[in-house]
Amino acid sequence: MTTTGMAVSAEHVDVRGRRVWLARSGHGEPLVYLHGPGELDGWAPALTLLARDFTVYRPDHPGFGRSDDDPSVDSVLDMAFSYLDLLDRLGLDRPALVGHSLGGWLAAQIAVLAPGRVRGLVLAGAAGLRAGVPAPDIFTLNPVQDAELANHRHGARAAAVAAAERITEDQELFQRYLRNRMATAHVGWNPYLHDPKLAGRLHRITAGVLIIWGAEDRLLPVGYAHRWAEALPAARLEIIEDAGHRPQAERPEAFAALVREFLA
Amino acid sequence: MKFFGFHLMPYQDLPAGHLDGTASSWVTLSNALFDPEKGHRLYRRYIEELIAFDRAGFDGICVNEHHQTAYGLMPSPDVMAAVLVPQTTCRIAILGNALPLRDHPLRVAEEVAMLDVISGGRIISGFVRGIGAEYHTFGVDPASSRERFHEAHDLIVAAWTRPGPFEWYGKHYKFRYVNPWPRPLQQPHPPIWSPSQGSGETIDWAAKHRYTYLQTYSELASVRRVFDEFRAAAQRYGYTAAPEQIGWSIPVFVADTDERAEEVALPALDRLFNKLMRMPRDVFFPAGYLTPASSARVMAAKGGLGSGNADVRDLVNRGYAVIGSPDTVRQRLEAHAKELGFGCFCGVFQFGSLGHEDFLASLHLFTQKVMPALRAL
Repeated sequence: MTTTGMAVSAEHVDVRGRRVWLARSGHGEPLVYLHGPGELDGWAPALTLLARDFTVYRPDHPGFGRSDDDPSVDSVLDMAFSYLDLLDRLGLDRPALVGHSLGGWLAAQIAVLAPGRVRGLVLAGAAGLRAGVPAPDIFTLNPVQDAELANHRHGARAAAVAAAERITEDQELFQRYLRNRMATAHVGWNPYLHDPKLAGRLHRITAGVLIIWGAEDRLLPVGYAHRWAEALPAARLEIIEDAGHRPQAERPEAFAALVREFLA
Repeated sequence: MKFFGFHLMPYQDLPAGHLDGTASSWVTLSNALFDPEKGHRLYRRYIEELIAFDRAGFDGICVNEHHQTAYGLMPSPDVMAAVLVPQTTCRIAILGNALPLRDHPLRVAEEVAMLDVISGGRIISGFVRGIGAEYHTFGVDPASSRERFHEAHDLIVAAWTRPGPFEWYGKHYKFRYVNPWPRPLQQPHPPIWSPSQGSGETIDWAAKHRYTYLQTYSELASVRRVFDEFRAAAQRYGYTAAPEQIGWSIPVFVADTDERAEEVALPALDRLFNKLMRMPRDVFFPAGYLTPASSARVMAAKGGLGSGNADVRDLVNRGYAVIGSPDTVRQRLEAHAKELGFGCFCGVFQFGSLGHEDFLASLHLFTQKVMPALRAL
């Protein structure tokens, strides 16, 4: 794990008999970052910047990365219940939630389930809603195709594609990739990465919401950002130019600045 | 040796060019390409070809299911079995019903029991998971595939053998009343077969239940390893696997000479393996369909079935198909039978682009000049 800022510590945390892999860094108010399905490096560049002002927690979801499977998880709603246990275990009464992609869907689901537990909600490139905008089926993509579609800026894309081409060489990393893919399929296969009931429940969210989207997102095109904005009329929508599906990795300064300002 | 005839019912009237520009012949190949009038003629012809196995003295005819593909026109094996039952006297082997794709396994219990009663107890009931592409077709989470397979199997066997009504509250299937009418004629239930490409979990499962294990689409080296594993698993479960409990399914084509056999069969095999079986690997093996360990092995391998660029002659050399003159085919199968110890041979006689006359001629030569010598084994 590399960072140019504060040290990141990571360890397994026991949550009701299951081990959750948790990385953390920084100081200040708590901010829980909920990752997307493809994130294997564990610490998105924007988190290093956010750790200057927040205590950033970055768990691996149940069944993902280095966390144990949770047999009770068959849906994102089940994941949300599991996360309430984690928040209790960490003593986080009312953290900010920053969720990306699948993690954005999860963050919204937690905020619907337990509105009082969320200080502020940031949804970045969030799955969870269906927009009627054509989008690729990630479950048909190989790692290289996924890397090509997920990244916009030339340097980021080239690096991600190169890493994807070598993914089978590092067995430990490859197993994590396969676990993430399997766990994502388990909760997002059908309906395809969305919950038809979610939009009708979003009114239960009481925290302020910031929607962040990469203008050049090709996995969940920006039409999905407008769908979220329509479903959450009080939310603020920010489109980051020159970024794809992972603005927190491609435009970390812009991403962190928006989050910092929103939570101030 | 028992002989079964397999028939893939490919959609043959698709110009090969239609398959060149697409990534897959499954799931997304538009059904606008299917011509129902041509389909009608194909079904009539294929049903005649299927019945020809019965007339030729085969022990059984195999049907199976595949979905949303030009690979085969058999989305429902039970429908095909129903077509064949009144026109045959041999066994009908359903290889198989793809259990995890069903939300109502009791329909399988009912349909197979119906077929068994109507046929006078001639049904063999294979159970499979369905191939990866079909999890896209049916929107079934592939990560739940194994769990659903095992639970549906347990439910169906219970529905066949336990006096109903009883309750079933499993993880995936929930029924207040399990009590299907009719019950199967064969007792305690029709023979269950487990067709597979050789996953360790399936081999163990089939051996544990003393089912017939059928290996499909594999090179000889894998077939050898898998059959050895199956026999070893049977020993672990306290018995010796009988040869009839081990089946091998493989495309076969017989012509008067080796040259003629290659001339006809190689293009047909090319269409089968490189056009009709083609799909992206992540569609073939979707997330969770294989365990992460198996997945790592498969995804690290290059080329192979589904890639669309297999060298067909190389596949034949590696044992993916048996083609040649009657002498060649007989000698190879005799040698394989002695070496591999299988007691059920499921010949895939119709595949790819084989014409009706070539199919009948191959079947005739096999029946007259290959089968008799192998029967005694």
